[in-house]
Amino acid sequence: MPPPFSGSTCSSSDLIHPPLNPESNIVAINVGGHFFQTTKQTLALAGSKSLLSTLFDSSQSDVPFIDRDPDLFSLILSLLRTGYLPSKAKAFDLQDLISESQFYGIESLLINSLSNPSQFEAFNLEKSLILPLNGRDPPAAITTTPFGSVHVAHGGKITSFDWSLQRKTTILTQFSAIDSLLALSPSVAAAGATDFSGLQVLDLDIGHVRTILNWENVTRSSSTVQAIGASSQFLFTSFESGRRNSNSIMIYDLQTFSPVNEIGHNEIFGADIDSAIPATMLNWVAGYNLLMASGSHSGPSGVQGNIKFWDIRTGNIAWELKEKVDCFSDMTISENLSAIFKIGVSSGEVYSADLRKLGDGNPWILLGDRMKVVNGKRAGAGGKIESYGNQVFCSREGGTIELWSEVAVENGGSKEGGLRLEERVFRKNVMGRVKDLGGGRVTKLAFGGNKMFVTRKDQQSVEVWQSTNKRSS
Amino acid sequence: MEDENIQLANRTLNQERIKLNVGGKLFETTVSTIRSGGPESLLYALSNRPRDDRNPIFIDRDPEIFSVLLSLLRTNRLPSSARRFSKQELFDEAIFYGIEANLKSAISPPSFDGIDASIVANIRPTSDGVVSAFTAGDGDGSIWLAHGGQISCYDRNLIHDRTIRTHLEEITSIRRVWPEIAALGSDATSGLHYYNFSSGRHIGSSNWSDPNDPRIYKARVTAIADSPTSIFAAFECAHRENSVLVIDQSTLQITSELGRQLGSSAKSTVAGKLAWIPETSVLFGSSVTCGAFGYSGYVRLWDSRSGDVVWETNEPGSGRSSRFGDSFADVDVDVESMKLFKICSKSGDLGVADIRKLGDDPWVYLKDKNPGMGNTGRRGSGNIKIHCFRKQVLVGREGELEVWSRVEERENGVEESKDIGEDFYRRNYVDKAEDSERGIIKEIEGGGDRLFVSRENVEGIEVWETSKSSGAVSIL
Repeated sequence: MPPPFSGSTCSSSDLIHPPLNPESNIVAINVGGHFFQTTKQTLALAGSKSLLSTLFDSSQSDVPFIDRDPDLFSLILSLLRTGYLPSKAKAFDLQDLISESQFYGIESLLINSLSNPSQFEAFNLEKSLILPLNGRDPPAAITTTPFGSVHVAHGGKITSFDWSLQRKTTILTQFSAIDSLLALSPSVAAAGATDFSGLQVLDLDIGHVRTILNWENVTRSSSTVQAIGASSQFLFTSFESGRRNSNSIMIYDLQTFSPVNEIGHNEIFGADIDSAIPATMLNWVAGYNLLMASGSHSGPSGVQGNIKFWDIRTGNIAWELKEKVDCFSDMTISENLSAIFKIGVSSGEVYSADLRKLGDGNPWILLGDRMKVVNGKRAGAGGKIESYGNQVFCSREGGTIELWSEVAVENGGSKEGGLRLEERVFRKNVMGRVKDLGGGRVTKLAFGGNKMFVTRKDQQSVEVWQSTNKRSS
Repeated sequence: MEDENIQLANRTLNQERIKLNVGGKLFETTVSTIRSGGPESLLYALSNRPRDDRNPIFIDRDPEIFSVLLSLLRTNRLPSSARRFSKQELFDEAIFYGIEANLKSAISPPSFDGIDASIVANIRPTSDGVVSAFTAGDGDGSIWLAHGGQISCYDRNLIHDRTIRTHLEEITSIRRVWPEIAALGSDATSGLHYYNFSSGRHIGSSNWSDPNDPRIYKARVTAIADSPTSIFAAFECAHRENSVLVIDQSTLQITSELGRQLGSSAKSTVAGKLAWIPETSVLFGSSVTCGAFGYSGYVRLWDSRSGDVVWETNEPGSGRSSRFGDSFADVDVDVESMKLFKICSKSGDLGVADIRKLGDDPWVYLKDKNPGMGNTGRRGSGNIKIHCFRKQVLVGREGELEVWSRVEERENGVEESKDIGEDFYRRNYVDKAEDSERGIIKEIEGGGDRLFVSRENVEGIEVWETSKSSGAVSIL
């Protein structure tokens, strides 16, 4: 083999390539004919599985050669050195960088620099992308992973977008219309429908069903899925029997999908509406080790619902809230804020209840000023409320989205500013610039990585809101 | 995936290297990379030269395009810098280096999937733009359009290659029977005509005649199909007597005649659709007419060697048909999975029959289960077209385009051994509501990984593809 380089035809970058002491930390690499110098420490940041950290394992005297594009490598090296991409990376497609980072085994660093949940800035979100969905089914369910990949169920299909939102795959499922979807990993999701028996765990890359979970109900009718939730260990599914006369929450092991426990089993006799309401929302509350299950029912006497906190080991209810007046049209929990939030279906107002002060009385505290109540109108119907980070997001009639945030108030502050200090202070803002306002009614809100995802009624697309990256703009 | 990459990377570390000077710019790569175009390529030949580090091999070509192509050889994908060049430039350059196969595999769309397809192009010829017939060529995604007596060829990049004028005033059937030869038929002019595309010349005609029957005269062609050795064309005389002629593909001479019939009733009208089923050497023919009492028609399968009818069905049929009064509006054959598919005119359901198990009533009916498919009332009326492509069934109803696709089974399920069951097919729209307003779908055909759709009295032809790209639109 000839020496790594010799002779007069070298480019100028070769000339500043002094002979290196093999003991030195400084190393040289030849990538596609260009020479780069860096340190062993920098290369070690790529991780032990990466090609770059294994380059100098053997004591070769030659400068190692990598047969890849040198321009892209210079970006990869910058990413290793600083943890973020230099602005000259804008000359390339993200897809180039992704495939290059996969080659060097450092895609996780790239994801970290571009789609990290810590980069989520609620006050700096703008509507930036539209992800179109093919076909005519509007999105019915949306689920995300922590680093911003997103799966959308529309009709019987699931379209998955990768964390960079550059690539998509669509699979066809056995469902005629999926109603619940939960991502278990970037390539695995659990899906269920209110008109199709069984919960299916699907491989989203190839469209295969990994397993089908059914609830063996007493009437031996089908078991439809009302809600799906997960903790780090368990998968929770709210089932209702096909005859709608019993419901239950099943707990499965997240690795093996074998049943672990069954809680909240209701057989319905007579006119007991409360037990007839299956849970339509399941959230794992890690800080309290409880499963929050909530559901509501709209009948001639108005909307009624309940919110239950289950101890999943014993199957007991730790705390329950019956919603008889101004029941939630949607509710959410924020562990960061230690509170649950709801939109009242008749008033349309946003309420919060502090998890630390749950007692026997009515825990709901109105946020903001009371609006004029329009009699008989369900002002809050169809509203969506979700929390992410330290904020709460709430959709309004006309398609606008409100951002509720807690104002940090010094405990010993004066009362002159009109602040009621015995309470926590929440204030709202309408998200988006004037051109972003409006649009169809919001059907789903979801969050992942540094992005917010919005779907709207009758629109076969997903709206992406993100904050401008400080370094790329 | 990551581990594979690392292995791949480790292999490249200790490989023989080569330096190239392309148009004054130096490149360094490995011999195996440069040889990935195959032993016939120019780059392979260059890699066999004796190497001298002081004097890298000089190639007098543009270095910018070469750097794109070198990235392609290294990664098997086109870098974004390729966008600075047109597809034509890239292909020309790739052909020079002998690596066009690598480029082709990198830019060809992924396998067509009707549940996830969108319009990528609308090909519009510059004169007489209403397409009267088209043929999607030999499966590389290229297409030949017949419009106003002209034929235009668009290559696999959908770039206009050339247009020739034929003597026909209107071409209503076209089939690419050789890579450069099209067989043409017309509603208005008799005979089957062959045009050589590269020379633009008429190279022959076939006409149906019978020395014993002077009435067999001036027959027009209604459908064309081809097998590796023969061309099949359905001919119809002015007095409606009709037949399918078998024409030898190399001599363009008529060799035999299949299924001559009087054409006096719906059961004996000329075939409007012909297709060759290679696996069993059977020719499929069908005819559908729509009259005051609804649809009627037949499906017939001929053994192409003996000329015998292997199987046939007529609708509305007599006897056991469980779907009386719901005769098919269109029928097509899926040669990949050996199935016949028909669309029922009244119910709108899809009927499927296994060609290997045809009997008196082989149809299994697949029902529509998608609640999002909207109003069922208007189904059954109007124009229905069906086309089988990539184990999917594309259906055009008036202006709407839908797809029936088979749902993947369980991971370890044995898919093929199961009988056709209605549970395994799902129906979805391919298009958006606004797409369907452009006009009534006239013809659907797949080729390569593209689906081509033409509409009544609408200029041009739509090209649908599946893409892995998210198609995200920035609205900042």
